[in-house]
Formats: sequence, C-alpha cells, structure tokens
Amino acid sequence: MSKWWLLSAAIMLWMASGYAMVRSPADAGPRAVRPQAPARIVSMAPNLTEILFALGLESNVVGVTQDSDYPPAARNKPSVGTFWQPSIEAIIATRPDLVVTEAFEQQRDLARRLQRMGYNNLMVEVETIAGLFDAILAIGAAAGANRQAETLCANMRTEIDQLHATIVGARPVKVLWVVQREPLRVAGRGTFVNEMIELAGGGNAIGPTLHIYPAVGAEQVIAARPEVIIEPAMLPGTMDRQRQQALSYWNRFSNVPAVGTGRIYIIDGDLVSRLSPRLPTAIKTIAQCLRPDLSGE
Amino acid sequence: MTAAIQVNQVSFGYDPQRPVLNHIDISVRPGAFLAVAGPNGVGKSTLVQIMAGMLRPQSGVVLLEGRDLRTYGVAELARRIAVVRQEFVPAFGFSVFETVLMARTPYYGQWGFEGKEDRDRAAKALELTDTARFASRPLGSLSAGERQRVFIARALAQETPLLLLDEPTSFLDLKHQVAVYDLLKSIGQDTNATIVAVTHDINLASQYCDEALLLYPPRQSGDSPPASPFPPLYRIGPTAEVFAPPEIQRAFDVGVFSGAVGRERFIIPLGAMAKDANLSGRST
Amino acid sequence: MHPPLTPRTLLFRTSLAAALLMATMLACALIGPQDVSLKAALSGHPAGGTPSPDYEILVRVRIPRVLLAAMVGAALASAGVIFQALLRNPLADPYILGVSSGAGLGAMLAVIGGLSWTLWGRSPIAVFAFAGALTTVWLVWGIGRITGKYQVTGLLLAGVVVNAFFSAMIMFLVSIAKGQQLYATIFWLMGNMTEEDFFVLWVGGGCILAGIVALFFLGPQLNVISVGYQDARSIGVPVERIELAAFAISAFITAVAVSLSGLIGFVGLIVPHAVRLLFGPDHRQLLPLSALAGAMFLVVADTVARMVVAPAQLPVGVVTAMIGGPFFLFLLIRHSKKVYWPT
Repeated sequence: MSKWWLLSAAIMLWMASGYAMVRSPADAGPRAVRPQAPARIVSMAPNLTEILFALGLESNVVGVTQDSDYPPAARNKPSVGTFWQPSIEAIIATRPDLVVTEAFEQQRDLARRLQRMGYNNLMVEVETIAGLFDAILAIGAAAGANRQAETLCANMRTEIDQLHATIVGARPVKVLWVVQREPLRVAGRGTFVNEMIELAGGGNAIGPTLHIYPAVGAEQVIAARPEVIIEPAMLPGTMDRQRQQALSYWNRFSNVPAVGTGRIYIIDGDLVSRLSPRLPTAIKTIAQCLRPDLSGE
Repeated sequence: MTAAIQVNQVSFGYDPQRPVLNHIDISVRPGAFLAVAGPNGVGKSTLVQIMAGMLRPQSGVVLLEGRDLRTYGVAELARRIAVVRQEFVPAFGFSVFETVLMARTPYYGQWGFEGKEDRDRAAKALELTDTARFASRPLGSLSAGERQRVFIARALAQETPLLLLDEPTSFLDLKHQVAVYDLLKSIGQDTNATIVAVTHDINLASQYCDEALLLYPPRQSGDSPPASPFPPLYRIGPTAEVFAPPEIQRAFDVGVFSGAVGRERFIIPLGAMAKDANLSGRST
Repeated sequence: MHPPLTPRTLLFRTSLAAALLMATMLACALIGPQDVSLKAALSGHPAGGTPSPDYEILVRVRIPRVLLAAMVGAALASAGVIFQALLRNPLADPYILGVSSGAGLGAMLAVIGGLSWTLWGRSPIAVFAFAGALTTVWLVWGIGRITGKYQVTGLLLAGVVVNAFFSAMIMFLVSIAKGQQLYATIFWLMGNMTEEDFFVLWVGGGCILAGIVALFFLGPQLNVISVGYQDARSIGVPVERIELAAFAISAFITAVAVSLSGLIGFVGLIVPHAVRLLFGPDHRQLLPLSALAGAMFLVVADTVARMVVAPAQLPVGVVTAMIGGPFFLFLLIRHSKKVYWPT
C-alpha cells in the first residue's frame, strides 16, 4: 500500500515544481518589444510577398515561402517552407523581426507557436478585396512604410475605378468560374473571385450556396446558363493543354451558352487565385474575357 | 467440529425460473475427500463454482469454516480455497513455472516480486504433479493432459486448506489419473486439506474418496409424482452407500453391472449393445 | 523460452533502455531540416543578448518536440500493453475501444463550433479531443458492463459499435464542414508533433509518467489476469477492481497522448508485441520496457517524418506504419516458434 502513497506524493511534488518553475520569468521570449521599423521580415504567403515587394521592402525580406514566385526576384529569397507546410526552424534561422502570416487555420497555429516563442507576428486576413487593402495598410504600418502603403492603395483604387468606368451601365455577363473540373467545383458568391468578377463587369452564374467553393452537378450548370466559362490554369506553362482538356470536357454541355459560343477561357492561375497588388491586372484580364471587344485599350 | 465448508439450502439457476440446484444442503468435514458425481448438466460444476464463491446462490448461504463466504475478501479467500477448472490455452506465452508461480501472487512483496519461498513452493508443486520437466516450456506447447497437471500444480502452490477440482483427470492417461488421485489423497492426509473433486470416474472415486455426493437429474414429466414437496435431488454419504448400483442407475439412467473389488466395489456401465448387456440388470 | 524475471534483471534492462532513450533523444534533437551545431547552441546564449538561431532552434523547437514524441510514444505503448492484457488479445491497441473516433469527434466539434478560446495557450481542439476520448471509453465501459459483466467480447463489441457510430457522426460533420475547418481537423487527426511550451510538457509528461508507474504496480495482477480471467479470482486477484483501474489509467494516458499529438497508430499495437516477442509476457517487465521502446520508436519516427520530405513534413502516423509494419513482420517470422495462438 505504501507504494501508492509514494506515487501520489511524487505526483504532487511534480505538479507543484512545474507550477513553481512556470512562474519564473526564464520562460519569456527574447523579443518583447516590437521595433518601429523591422529590418528582417518573413512572409508566409505568396501574396504577402508580393505586397512586401510592392511596398519597396525587398531588401528587408529575409524569408519567403517556396511558392512565392512573384516578382521573380522573390524566388531568390531564402525559403521557409510552403504556405501549407511552413518550416518553423527555417523561420527561426532567418532571425526575423517580423513574421507576416495569413489568417487561415493552418497559419493560425504557426502564429501561435511563433508568438509563444516571442517572435513578432502580424496576422492579416486577406479573403476579400477590402481585406486586401486593410492588409496592405497594416503591413505598411507594421513595417514602417505607411506612406508607401497609402500610395499603393490609392494607385490600385484608381486603376480599378478606371476599369469600372468603362463597363458601368452594361449588363453583367454571366460567368462560371471553374476551380476544379473533376469533380466540378466552382467559385461561389462568397469568394473574392466573385468580387473580381463583378468589378470586371460580370455576375456569377451560380446562385448563393452554403459552401463558398461548392461542388456542382451538371443540372446546376445547365440551369445557370453561363455565357462565359473561366478556368484558372493549374500550373504555369500548361495553358494550351488545359484548354484542349477543357474544350473536350465541356463539349457535352452543348446547350450551355458559353459552350455554344466557344467562350471558354483559361487564364493565369497565379494572377487570379491570390489577392495581391496585381489585383487591377487580374480584374483587367477577367474583363477581357467578358468583353473581348473592349480589349486593347 | 466446524465443517470445512457448508452449503445451506442453496438454490441457483442461470435462468431464475429454472433452477439447476434446488435447496442443496450439505456439509463437508475438514480433511474429507469428497467426490461429486452426476450426469451432465445436473449442476456439478455450478456447485463447485458456488462453493468457490464465483457464483452467488439465489437463496441459501455458503459457510466456509463457519463464516459466510461473502464476508471473505478476494485475497483472503485465495488463501483458503484453490480451484482447478477446465484447462485451456492462454493467449500469452508464459512458461509452466511462471504459471504455477502466479498462484503465489497474493504473497508477493511490496514491489511485486516473488520471494525464495514462493519459488520453492512452486517448484515443489511441479514435482508433485510430475511436471517439473516442463518448467521452462511455454504452457501452450503442452498437451491437454500435461496442461491439466500444471493447473493442478498451480492450485497446490496456493497451499490452501480446501481444494476444489472440476474433473481434474478428464484428459489424463491412466498412469496420471492414478497419480493425481494418489497425490490428492496424500495431501489430504499430510496436511488435513479438504478436497472436493468433481469426477466422471466412479470407480476411481470409490477407491480414493471417503465420501461422495451424487446429484440426480431433475424429475422428467413422465415420472410418478414425488412423495414429499422437495424430493432430494442429491445424496451424500460414504462412497459405498452413494455409489450403490441402484443409485447409479437412477442418476445416470444406465444399466450397470457391479461387483466387489476388495473394500470397495466396481461399477461397469452396460448399454443395450454391450457384449455383456444381459448382465446389466435392466430389461431391454 | 524466457527465464522467470528477477528484480535485478528488470533493473538492468530498464536502466539500459532508459540510457538508450536519452541517447536517441539527444541525437534526434540534433537532426532536422536546419543544420544545428551543438557547440553553437551551447555557446549561443549570452546573458541579456539575443540567442543564436542554433540555440533557439534546439531549445525551443527540437527539444520540446523530442520530449513530446517520447512521452506520447511511452503513453501509447504502455496503454497498448494494458489493453492487450485486459482484452487477452495480442491484436488490441489503445484505440480499439473507440478512443480514436471519440477524440476525432471531439476535435471536429471544437473546430466546427468555431471555438477560439485557449486553455494554457493550447487550442480547444486538444481539450475537446481529450474529453472526447475519455467520454468514449467511459461509454464503452458502461455498455460492456451492461451487456456482459466485463466479459471481453462485450467490451470489444461495444467498442466496435461506438467506433462505428462516432465515425458516422464524424463523416456527417465532415460533409457539412467548410474547407478550412476540414483541413485543420484532418491534419490534426493524422498525428502531428509540434513543439509545446514547457508547462504543457511538464503537466502532460507528469500525468503520463504517473500513469505508467501506477500501471507497473499492477504488473503481477495483470500477469494473472492475462492468463485467465476466471482463474484470476480464485488466485486472489480482485479482477474487477484491477481491470477497472488498469482501463481507467490506460484510457487516461491515451487521452492525454491523443490530445497532445493527434492520432498516431501502430505504436500501441506493435511495440508491446515486439517487446513481448523479445523479452516475454511478464508485465512487470513488459510495461517499463514497452514504454521506453515506444518512446524511442516515436522519437525516431518523428525525426524521419521531419526529414524525409523537408521542409514539408509527413504525418507521423504514416511513418510509424511504414517503419512498424515490416519490422514487426520480421520479428514475427523470426520468433514464430515462441508464439502460441489460441486454437
């Protein structure tokens, strides 16, 4: 029986000493103060990299994710893993003053871990166009580049307004935005893609859905009667092949207006699948698909 | 003198509507060697389990050394009663010696290890049952008969004043059947242990046991009505009385031929197709 | 055949295994996607200044992770030993009674419920997974009690039923979940080792260590129970009490392990097996050696998971299955003479 008492006593001692040790300040992180102008910034998403470069902070960026491919200079920066699989060791090895992450679930965990270790972290939510502008301003504020951020936002807004002016009053073109072909998934009304489509003078052929990237069946496609089908290219350099595959896939939907008129477009996936400073270009590209007659301006 | 074990008006049924045992009332004196016999399904194993405390009777009480069985703690009970039941193949590969040594678990020291005395007693038990040569072999590698002897050895290693055995010789060859009964008898005499053994072998029991308990099958619907409200469904007494040919015939519903050996008799069951069927004492 | 266990043998083997574990942990802490040199780490912590990356990575990422792997591995292996003994089934593992689906359901409910509060800096997923795991075991135990008075078959069947029902509920939640939530839960459930802060490691480690020691004390009785349930009682082992205690403690440490690192399979199944094949079925030895072996196994598996497709990481469960499977097959073939299965 005495061994059980011994065990209980040992457990008490263990828990008590753990509690006592936690109270001591030795566990606090090394950096408690956030510097005004961080010299070493790590970006944990491709669009965040684009924003940092666009703000003129190229020389401060010391780590990017492997999929940060724009601007081309970003590819030369040290890699800290991918957006989906960040490497916390690589992040630490760059000795960052500021780590910028997105508010997705998988990065929330990373942000928590970094904060626990005492690293400065800025989490931005870039899931809507408004969010993009806020993010640019937030990053600018955190990086000591307020002026550049405001300028960037202003320029972007001007371009978008100019584009918008050309299509004001015209009837929105019905667009089906195909994210995945088999099984068929499209961008729904709650996405930033939808925002871009509307700014470009289009309207989502699919009605409101529960999921923002819903799987749809053939019936829904036919009932939606899209005039234009847009597919972002999966991988760079495969746009032609993807067009062939798309055409042969959509052939069976002969009574869909877009198929009948052959208005199936494959566009640069990277450009339109992330919210970045290239947003005006993205919207322009989409607008060209919707109104080819207005291209070349 | 207090009975080693006493079963007072015990009734039990797996299905409460159909009792297997009905108001059994028996008393076993210390040092007795009691044989329990009867046809299949009559409740012999059930009775042993009730005596061992493994089953609770629906009515009645079991007294061990004068005390209600239910008042004994598990470890305490293990020092008073050892049970040998059907042999089986365990799922894990303990050796014979380790298996027998497990009987000493209640005696282990503070940190869960056996002492020299425990090992000695286990070794002695192995010798008594002629299983010492298997000591380091895994239990599953033995034949059924050899395993049965190992389980008997395990019960012996518990060194209890009461031993309950359920058909301890069912898988044994003649040599070992006799050896086991010799062993049980000598242990009973040396240590005054009380032994209760369920058996199918009437003749062997006659030669070794002083007393016997014969359980009769429940009344069939075609039989003549009973004389008293609770007709005895069992009979306990000296082996010569209990294993008398008419009783055997009544209990097992079989014709027998019996004769004298020396101090006891022998009983040979004879069916209709047996060579000496005409001697069975039953009309065909 | 293995000779009977003596205290000296046990002490010797346990000490050796513990030393081996320490060495393994240190070696694996120095392996990772980034090069870390021990010298730089040891010298890289000037008082008041910023520590070197080597020190940071070693102390804040590697060592906590290795410690976590060790304690989860030890917990799962120990629970595996116990479940195999109590269910008298060499193919049992800690998840057999529904712990896995219970933890998964708990985790999914936390994610879908959108809860964002934390407990000691840990996400609610872990807490709900822990609660889910414990609730499930309690449920299975209760059903087993009602149906069969702790008979093994009753428990196994109850476990199958509860597993099936909870898995169906998980599938339902999966079908209505939004994409991100789904990803988060599935990733978590596949088993992940991330560094935890000191306090969590201390508390979790303490619970697991205490549980393993308590189970060790039950060793002799478990030996008896694993040979035969019915006979155990006549030998003087209070079977119901011991089984309840062993189940409760094993379920507890499994739940702690699952809440720390998601579901990692194979450790609880094959480590006890392998140790039993090598050293015999005596639980007084099986338990401590399996705990240490499980710790070593998971530390190594986690290191492989981190390195093989660096900088990405494989889920640890994939690695445990890939290492564990063939290794176990090899052991089984080699020692097949020593193994006896019930006919």
